[in-house]
Amino acid sequence: MDVLIADDSEFMRSLLREILEGEYSIVDEAENGVEAIELYDEYDPDLVMMDIVMPIRDGIEATDEITDTDPGAKVIMCTSVGQEQKMKSAIQAGAEGYITKPFQKPSVLDEIENVVAG
Amino acid sequence: MQIDIDSLETYNTLARDGAQSAAESLSQLTGIDTHVEVTNVSLMTPGDLEYEYVGSEFSGVRIELGGALTGETLLTFDEAARSVIAGTLAPEEPTDIRRSSIEEVGNIMTSGFIDGWADHLQTTIDISPPTFLSGSGADVLAASAAAEDEQVFVFRSRVESAAESIDFHILFVPERDSLIEALGPTGEESVSFEKLEVFNEMTKHGAEQAAENITTMTGLETDVEVNRMSFVPIDDVPATVGDRRYIGTVMEYTGKPSGYLAILFDQPSAEAVVDALVPMETEGEWSEMEQSAVKELGNIMTSGFIDGWANVLESSIDHSPPEFVSDMGSSIMSPIVGRMARTQEHAFLLDSMIHTDGDGAFHCEILALPDESELREVLRELLVERADRTQVDPSEVF
Repeated sequence: MDVLIADDSEFMRSLLREILEGEYSIVDEAENGVEAIELYDEYDPDLVMMDIVMPIRDGIEATDEITDTDPGAKVIMCTSVGQEQKMKSAIQAGAEGYITKPFQKPSVLDEIENVVAG
Repeated sequence: MQIDIDSLETYNTLARDGAQSAAESLSQLTGIDTHVEVTNVSLMTPGDLEYEYVGSEFSGVRIELGGALTGETLLTFDEAARSVIAGTLAPEEPTDIRRSSIEEVGNIMTSGFIDGWADHLQTTIDISPPTFLSGSGADVLAASAAAEDEQVFVFRSRVESAAESIDFHILFVPERDSLIEALGPTGEESVSFEKLEVFNEMTKHGAEQAAENITTMTGLETDVEVNRMSFVPIDDVPATVGDRRYIGTVMEYTGKPSGYLAILFDQPSAEAVVDALVPMETEGEWSEMEQSAVKELGNIMTSGFIDGWANVLESSIDHSPPEFVSDMGSSIMSPIVGRMARTQEHAFLLDSMIHTDGDGAFHCEILALPDESELREVLRELLVERADRTQVDPSEVF
């Protein structure tokens, strides 16, 4: 399964990469919402791990645009934000899963499994 | 019970003038010029007061107040100041005379501090004879105050001298009902004391969440040592934070309320955090990966801190990506204050300190500066019965 990581933090991208490598194929990494949209168009990944707080365009806006273009896109928000209203906005934008940082490997893999299983 | 925030501004000014008067009294007695560095009024638990004296030896006087305003004042000198004052006023004298000189200086200075309040209230405030005190931490505090959990208003002033090592603190802890009565009738801008307490508790919960996030990410066992909500002249904020060097992150948040948040680690703590997050040797003081790790920790701690406000208020608060900072605390806060000072003269400063259990070797400060008028609105709209809804499990929403 191809996964795109979108997070403005180099540190967090490296952590996610460590967790996902060996389990999934990471196609690329985006540093902001605009890059996430461009890289999604380029690679058409099976899953996007999307941060919310990012420069230029945030993760909810990027998710909205990606799922508008590809209603079958699977996006998991992977964020420090634990606000109920943000979670609802993420659902409206088309996200199917939500992981709050800091996370442990099992919770990330479980959430991916849940979302992929539908 | 309602609190008029505008009256707090007035009383903060009175406390500052009182501290200035006490400083002038000291100058007259010793010939040493002093100036008021910072004055604020904080809402905190008496237990948090201990932090004022942790780690250093202090001596001074405790004076009880009666009449129109009841409570107590603590006027304390650090060890160097005590030595300079006693050495100036009672050189070559035996210990009991030197101690008496400190008592008398404290007595005169406290009178200078209190007189302005009495004049403002057009009444008299009785002061007890001074009780000499010395020690550190809880030793300095009244046993009764340290045992209570109820939040109290504390007026805190720090006075310094550029030429000599003269630093002293004045703490004025009025009894709550007495202060509220003194603050006078409340207007439309008032907020309930209960909501102030609840918001302070919510902030403490946010700080505890942020501390837990540090522990989860780094393995360092941390806890919130101090949590207080201060009302301070906006220009005093940099001096409140002080000149200690910090490494951390600054973020702007928007929503209700909007404002700024700084998460600051002292140098050894920042190094401990980075060693835990990026366990590899890097060249240079702060490599890109190390800065990224600090920023991500700041990002996660910020969410832990402010998400509770948003969830309780059923609103949404956005925050900017974190900016890495490495500078003196006052220099980090100055640009923020410069921006906020365009629209407000006073600020609510929410200040939480995170330490490692026991040894205190780890030190992290979370400083939130919400927009003052927006926070007043938030306090008015706050539903106390929702105050425990700070955390939301995503699985309940998805």
